[in-house]
Amino acid sequence: MDLLLNLSLLLPLVSAIVLWFAPLSKQQARSFALGSTLLTLLIVIRVVTAGYLADTLVENHFAATDWSWLGGVGGGGMDIRYNVGLDGLGLWLYGLSALLMVTAVLVSWETVQERAGLFYGLLLTLETGCLGVFCARDIILFYVFFEFTLIPLFFLIGIWGSEERQRAATKFFLYTLAGSVLTFLGLISIVLWHWQLSGQLTFSIPELTAAADVPAEFQWIIFLALLAGFAIKVPLFPLHTWLPLAHVQAPAAGSILLAGVMLKIGTYGFLRFNLPLLPEASAAFMPVLLCLSVAGIIYGALVALVQWDMKRLIAYSSVSHLGFCMLGMFSLNRLGVQGSALQMISHGISTGALFAIVGMLYERYHTREIRHLGGLAAKTPLLAFFMLLFTFSSIGLPGLNGFAGEFLVLIGTFQRSMGSPLIVVAVLAVLGVVLGAWYMLYLVQRLFFGPLREPAQDDHAGPEHEVADLSWREFSALAPLAIFVFWIGLQPSFFLKPMEDTLNSLVEPAAAARQAAENEMAETAHLATTQTSETTTKRAQQLSGGR
Amino acid sequence: MFIDVNTIFWLWPEIILIVVASGIYIGGTWPGYRSSWAQLSLLTYVAAGVILLRHEWSLWDTQSEITASGPLAIDALGHWIRCTSLLIGALFTGIYWKGPDRRLTSEFLGTLMMTVAGMMLISRANHLILLFLGLELVSIPTYVLLFVSRTSAKSSESTTKYFFLNILSSAVLLYGFSFLYGTAGTMILTGGAGIPGIRESLVQQLTSGNLPEPLLTVAVVLILGGLGFKVAAAPFHLYAADVYQGTSNATAGLLSVIPKIAGLVGLVRVLAIALPPTTEVVWQLLFVMAILTMTVGNVCALWQQNIRRLFAYSSIAHTGYMLIGLAAATTWVLAPGNTGEVSNGSPTGGIAALLLYLLFYSLGTIGIFAALSFLGSSDRQIENVDELAGLSTRQPLVAGSLAICLFSLAGIPPLAGFWGKFMLFTSALSASNSAAPMASTTWCFIILAIIGALNAAIAAVYYLRLIGVMYFSSSDQELPTAGGQGSRLVMLAATAMTVVLGLLPGYAMRRVRTAEQVQEGRFVSPQRIVQPVDAEDPPRPKVSE
Repeated sequence: MDLLLNLSLLLPLVSAIVLWFAPLSKQQARSFALGSTLLTLLIVIRVVTAGYLADTLVENHFAATDWSWLGGVGGGGMDIRYNVGLDGLGLWLYGLSALLMVTAVLVSWETVQERAGLFYGLLLTLETGCLGVFCARDIILFYVFFEFTLIPLFFLIGIWGSEERQRAATKFFLYTLAGSVLTFLGLISIVLWHWQLSGQLTFSIPELTAAADVPAEFQWIIFLALLAGFAIKVPLFPLHTWLPLAHVQAPAAGSILLAGVMLKIGTYGFLRFNLPLLPEASAAFMPVLLCLSVAGIIYGALVALVQWDMKRLIAYSSVSHLGFCMLGMFSLNRLGVQGSALQMISHGISTGALFAIVGMLYERYHTREIRHLGGLAAKTPLLAFFMLLFTFSSIGLPGLNGFAGEFLVLIGTFQRSMGSPLIVVAVLAVLGVVLGAWYMLYLVQRLFFGPLREPAQDDHAGPEHEVADLSWREFSALAPLAIFVFWIGLQPSFFLKPMEDTLNSLVEPAAAARQAAENEMAETAHLATTQTSETTTKRAQQLSGGR
Repeated sequence: MFIDVNTIFWLWPEIILIVVASGIYIGGTWPGYRSSWAQLSLLTYVAAGVILLRHEWSLWDTQSEITASGPLAIDALGHWIRCTSLLIGALFTGIYWKGPDRRLTSEFLGTLMMTVAGMMLISRANHLILLFLGLELVSIPTYVLLFVSRTSAKSSESTTKYFFLNILSSAVLLYGFSFLYGTAGTMILTGGAGIPGIRESLVQQLTSGNLPEPLLTVAVVLILGGLGFKVAAAPFHLYAADVYQGTSNATAGLLSVIPKIAGLVGLVRVLAIALPPTTEVVWQLLFVMAILTMTVGNVCALWQQNIRRLFAYSSIAHTGYMLIGLAAATTWVLAPGNTGEVSNGSPTGGIAALLLYLLFYSLGTIGIFAALSFLGSSDRQIENVDELAGLSTRQPLVAGSLAICLFSLAGIPPLAGFWGKFMLFTSALSASNSAAPMASTTWCFIILAIIGALNAAIAAVYYLRLIGVMYFSSSDQELPTAGGQGSRLVMLAATAMTVVLGLLPGYAMRRVRTAEQVQEGRFVSPQRIVQPVDAEDPPRPKVSE
């Protein structure tokens, strides 16, 4: 399996190089890109299936490859390794990236006319980056993939975007970079602390997680450094301002991947680094992050309500939904974190699909304005069906995928906040669910129901053409996502099962630290001190016993 | 005198370079052979490189006993810089192959070779005078380079500015050296047990408690001022933008690489290797200078329209990053216990980071300036950022190379520049970690790393603007490419090296880590200097073969 995993990282990159340098026509380029993404998807499906069935998913990272990259420690070198593998947290996100990439290629099929080879090449390099982030086991390798995703997306937005594309591309890149350089410092600090305290210079994420030995009094600054990058990526309110612009200006494929995969890198980073490596700081910052998450939920929903631009509306809905992910995660209990992880996948599928549908509408009518359109259900019933389906999935209708995640997140939040002032946060989050239903259904109602309304054909738009329903190409872009909408909705346990143990082990230290902090508040200072050290040792025992 | 014949042998590459450079100067007066001078100088660089590698490879072996002391520092640090210098010389030869003025080709190539020899001499210098001579060997040919290629009032202005300020900075530097000499009583930077250098002498004064700290501070300030000018560190950076703007693209590239390497290596030799155990003021000054330099450079670059001004400020900013490494390196001995005979910690990695960054920065910069001099017609250079509009459709290869070099300078993985920044920030953070807990050093270096990282993000603004102009906008203006195939080849070579070193930086990283041990090696383990060195009886370098 490790061979296939490496192949899935390499294949898109090699295909991209072929696309850049081989003189392919537009048709050849897109067919080649589709073939390459499909082949990658097949490999990824094989790896994910094997990973699902394997029992090494928890104890060990599955399908691990551990090669020396910078040539070992000899001569004072840094032992940064090419170290990839999957665990429960990365498994589904890895699969999701490959799945959405096929959708992205299919959606761009007709819209990308200029420099097709460059476009698909960039898309495929982006695929390597996204897949790589979720299976990197070396902290620097993770960062390399993390940053590397910026370059292709920068060009995708900047060259093929809409009217304000240059500004959007630059803003997206700079925002993300500004945060992630600080994240980089945080990651290095974690490594250096481990080096100083244990005498071993290692960049391996599993080893660092097992040790988790950053002193509590230094954790807060590292936490803030990591927060800077990941919170911008998520995006957490109030750092979300790059997102609407980038989503709106990006080409459809860019929006799909940005919403579906790139935002998850932020939440993934929190789960992978902040919670297990900086448990005390996570516990201490929990109230702040809960408040920011719920502010994002409400704010995103309210702003989405008043948008006249379809893409912008869905972009703000992302802010709101990612708020739920963060809320669940920083409930610091098992249910919340599981809900958060499930919500990450659900959001990737449903928002990715929604952006694809908006892209299809744009292809037909060349407008993103909601008021120009109306009553389309009569004309494009299949499109309307899919739109309705993904809308319901997005607002969390029971039986579809959004429900399971949101429900777990809310349970987790209530569990955490019951009996404390934070209960307000939980209540407001429920309000966010209601608002979510409101703006999404309002959008669908305006677009697809009521009297038929279509924008006047521009004179220069070419000959009058009849607007058709979904073609086979578009249908096959959406259908696989629709299957997962039902599958996750009806059988969430299937998807939770492989993640469960990994997530529990990731959240355990932070939960214990939170418990300790609460005990400390409750009891006298003297007692609390001993208790903290007890809890800490207990945690260390648990961790070492669990492995 | 402590120069004997064997010491000279360590300088073969420099000797060859200077002899050939003089030959090119003289031969250049005969017409008709001008184009072959480039081939000759390329050949010379290769020959010097072969000698260098054959002769000095054993320096990488940390166990080997290199016994020569005295005016020449025979160590891996010098070797690394010498190899880098030759590489840079060869690359610039390509750029000058078909320079802006065909009649001046031989003068350009000769002066270039002189400056390369100067850089190599500095990297070997273990003596204040030799260091100064090396710096002048870089500076004086640079004046000539600026002077002979002046075409307009603007370039005359730039030549004059550079000349007078550089002379002034040399004077300041010499003044600083004299204070250092007065404090330590010797000109040798690091010596052995028998003949103490500045390093040993200062440590001895420190342990006996009679270190004249004020005098030393004056020396450090003056040296930082003098060398800070050469590397264009704020607040001594003001000349850079005007000088770069007034010259050609190729020469601007040379100015942003060669004096920088010379000055930074000088700073490493004097501040990090000769001085460190003695005074805290070194890292404090460097801390302020690094922050000032990178911030001023990056912020001023944001609004530049002239492309050479932009890169002048960008090169100032890069100096600032490299000063982070230097500052981290000078804290190393501050850790308790390090001032004695025994080391209880490893160096912070600051010097290693600086050495690596110098190479990666040079490659990126050379790639960019090679591309810029490849573009443009024979009588007009690329001047403004807007002239690059739509380059990606008209010259995809040039645009791609420029983009890769720019991303590398911005520090985006997996390109070479990323690893340079990685090592720099790591060195700052480990300087912070290895200091006594909660000492002021801890927080200063955390702040330094954060400001450095934020500056990397600010720098991305103008790099992205350039990339945006090339890729996102279009233009129907004609864009000639008269720079010659030499520039094109250099551009491709520098880009290829940036990518390859970005993907496989391990070898270079291990090399610089070895080179860095110079910082502790001479000082911490005196047994490495086997023969006691005596002023009257010079050391005999063991030619290792």
